[in-house]
Amino acid sequence: MPSWSSFQPFIPIGLALGGVYALSGVGMVVLYRATGVLNLAYGAIGALGAMIAWSLINHAGFPSGWAYALAVLIGGFSTLVYGAVFGPLLAPRDPLVKAVATLGFALILLGMMTWLWSNSAGIARTITFPTDNSGFNVGQVTVSWTQVIAFGFGLATAIGATVFLRFTKLGTAMRALADDREITATLGVPVRRVEAAAWFASGLIAGATGLLLADLDTLDPTTLTFLVIFTVAAALIARLRSVTLTFVAAVVIGLVDNLVTPINSITSYRDMTPFVLAIVALLFFARGRQYSFARGGIR
Amino acid sequence: MEASGVLTRLGSSMRLSRGDRIQVAVIAALLVFALLGLPQLLSLYWIDIFTTAAIFAIASLGLGLLVGRVGMISLGQVAVLALGAWVGAKLCFSTSLPYPIVLLLSGVITMLLGTLIGLPALRVSGLYLALVTLMLAGAINVVLTQINFPNGGKGFLGFDELYPGSIRRPSIAVSDPSFFRYTVIVALLMFALALWHLRSKPGRAWAAIRQSEPAALTAGVNVTLYKMWAFALASFVTGVAGALFGSSSLKLYNYEFPTQQSIVLFAVVLMGGIYTLWGAIIAGALLWILPALFTIWGINAEIPTILFGIGVLQVLTTAPAGIAYQFPHDMMRLGKLLYRLIRRPAATAGST
Repeated sequence: MPSWSSFQPFIPIGLALGGVYALSGVGMVVLYRATGVLNLAYGAIGALGAMIAWSLINHAGFPSGWAYALAVLIGGFSTLVYGAVFGPLLAPRDPLVKAVATLGFALILLGMMTWLWSNSAGIARTITFPTDNSGFNVGQVTVSWTQVIAFGFGLATAIGATVFLRFTKLGTAMRALADDREITATLGVPVRRVEAAAWFASGLIAGATGLLLADLDTLDPTTLTFLVIFTVAAALIARLRSVTLTFVAAVVIGLVDNLVTPINSITSYRDMTPFVLAIVALLFFARGRQYSFARGGIR
Repeated sequence: MEASGVLTRLGSSMRLSRGDRIQVAVIAALLVFALLGLPQLLSLYWIDIFTTAAIFAIASLGLGLLVGRVGMISLGQVAVLALGAWVGAKLCFSTSLPYPIVLLLSGVITMLLGTLIGLPALRVSGLYLALVTLMLAGAINVVLTQINFPNGGKGFLGFDELYPGSIRRPSIAVSDPSFFRYTVIVALLMFALALWHLRSKPGRAWAAIRQSEPAALTAGVNVTLYKMWAFALASFVTGVAGALFGSSSLKLYNYEFPTQQSIVLFAVVLMGGIYTLWGAIIAGALLWILPALFTIWGINAEIPTILFGIGVLQVLTTAPAGIAYQFPHDMMRLGKLLYRLIRRPAATAGST
C-alpha cells in the first residue's frame, strides 16, 4: 500500500473531476425531473461545444474567452433545438424510450464530430484555461485555480438547483411537470415554455461541462461523449431525483476514481469505478424488493 | 383408422398459411443463394464483410429479442460479444475440443457471466437496466484493454505480445468462403433457436410481460424467471457470435469492441426492426455492408453513424416496427400507387 503522501496529489484532481461530474449530473437530474428525459447525449453536446471552441481559437483566431462563451451557448441551443423538436413528440412515451432517443442524438453529434475533426495531423488537441498554471499550495499539494473553479462550479450549481427547484415559480412548475405533465398543463402552467427553459439551462451546463472536461481530461469527441457514463452513475445513485445526492455521488466517484491511481494492483481498472459504485448502489436499493411498477423506476 | 386420423391432424397443423409459405420459400431461396451463390460471386474482401455481417446478425437477434419481445434494453451488447469472443479464443487456444463444442461452450459461459452481471439490474425498471448495461459496456472495455485477448500465450489470460497466434477455425471451414458458409449455418441454427422460443411457452410469457408486467404476474407468469431467460438467451447467442467473430478475424484486439459500437448496434437493431427476426439480418447488413459500400463509393465512413442516429429518432417517433416492416409495406403502397397511375389513363382512354 503506498504511503499517504502519494495519495495527496490526487485529492484535488479527484475533487475537481468530481465537481464536473456533479455539475453535469445536476444538469441531467434537473432535466429529468422537469421533462422525464434522461439526456444521454450530454457528453456529446459538451464535446461539440469544446471542439468548436478549439477550432475558433486555433483556426479562426478568436479570443479564448469569446470562444468559451460560444461553446457554452452552442451547448444550450443544440439541446434546446433537440428538446423543442423531440420533447413534445416523445412526451407521452416511457422514460426509457425518451432516454434511448437521446442516444440517437448522441450518435448524430458523434458522427458529425469524428467526420469534421477526423484528422488531427498527429498533434493532440488541447484546451487550456489561463487558470491551469496558477494556483496555491495546501501542505505539499499544488491546487490549480481551474480545479477550484471546477469543484466550486459543481457545488454552486448543486446548491443553486436545489434552491431554484424549491423556491422559484419556474422551479415549482418543473417539479409539478415531473409529477404529471397533463395535470400541470390543465392548471395553466405553460408546459412547453417551462420544458424549453429546462432544456436550455441543462444544455448550458452541458456546454460548460464539455469545456471543463476538455481541459481537465482530454479533448477528444469519443472520450468526452462517453465520460457521460460517470455522470450517469452519479445520477443513478441519486435515483434520478435528489440533487444533493447526485452531487455527493459524483464527488465520491471522482475521488475514488483518482485516489486508487497510486495503488498499482488496481490502477489500470480504476475507470470501472462508476460501474462498480452504481451496481453496489443498485443492489442496496433493490434489497428486499421484488417489483416496482412505478413510472420512471424505483422510488 | 386412428393412425390416419393422427396423420390428418398432423397434416393440418403442418399446413402453412399463404404468408408462411411465401416466407419459407423466401428463406429457402435466400439460404441457397447465401450458401452456394454468394461465395462464388464475391471477392474475398466482400466475403469477409458478409461473414462479419452474418455474425452481427446473430448478435442483433439476441438484442432484438430483448428489446422487441420483452421490452428490455441492453446498451452493452457489443461488450457481451467481446466476452464471447474472449471465451471462444481462450477455448480455441487452450483446448482441442471440436469447434461446435467450442461455440456451444462460449455461448454457455457468456450466458452465465452475462446473466450474473445483469441479475441486479433485472430487479429494477427498464431505464435502470439500460443505464447499468451502458456502464457495463464501459467497464468491460476497461478490463479488455488491460488483459487483451488470448493469442496463444502462456497463463490463464493467454496473451503474449511476442507470439501472436491465430484463432483456429473448424477443420471443415478453414478458407474464407467455407467459413462464411459455416457462419450462415450457425446463424440459421441460432435463428431457429430463437423462433422455437418465440413459438413456445417462453415466447408467450415474454409477450405477456411486454404488454404489462403486473398483468403477466397476475396471470401466473414468473416474471423474474422469464426476464432472466430472455437475458440468458440473448447472452447465449451473442456469445456464440463472439466466438465466431474471433475465428473469422483470426486475431482479436480490444479496439474492435468500443463502447460506441454497443450503441451503434442498438441503433441498427431498432432500425432493422425488432418485431420480426428479419430485422436482425437487416441490422447486420446495415452495420457492416452499408459502411463498406460507402467506403467504395468514396463517402466518409462516419456518415453511417449519423444515419444510424437519425434512424433511431425516426424509428422512435414515426416507424416503430423498423425497416423489416416498413420497407415491404411502403413498397406495396408504392406498387398500388403505380398500379393506379397506370390503370387510370388506360381506364379514361377506354371510357372516351
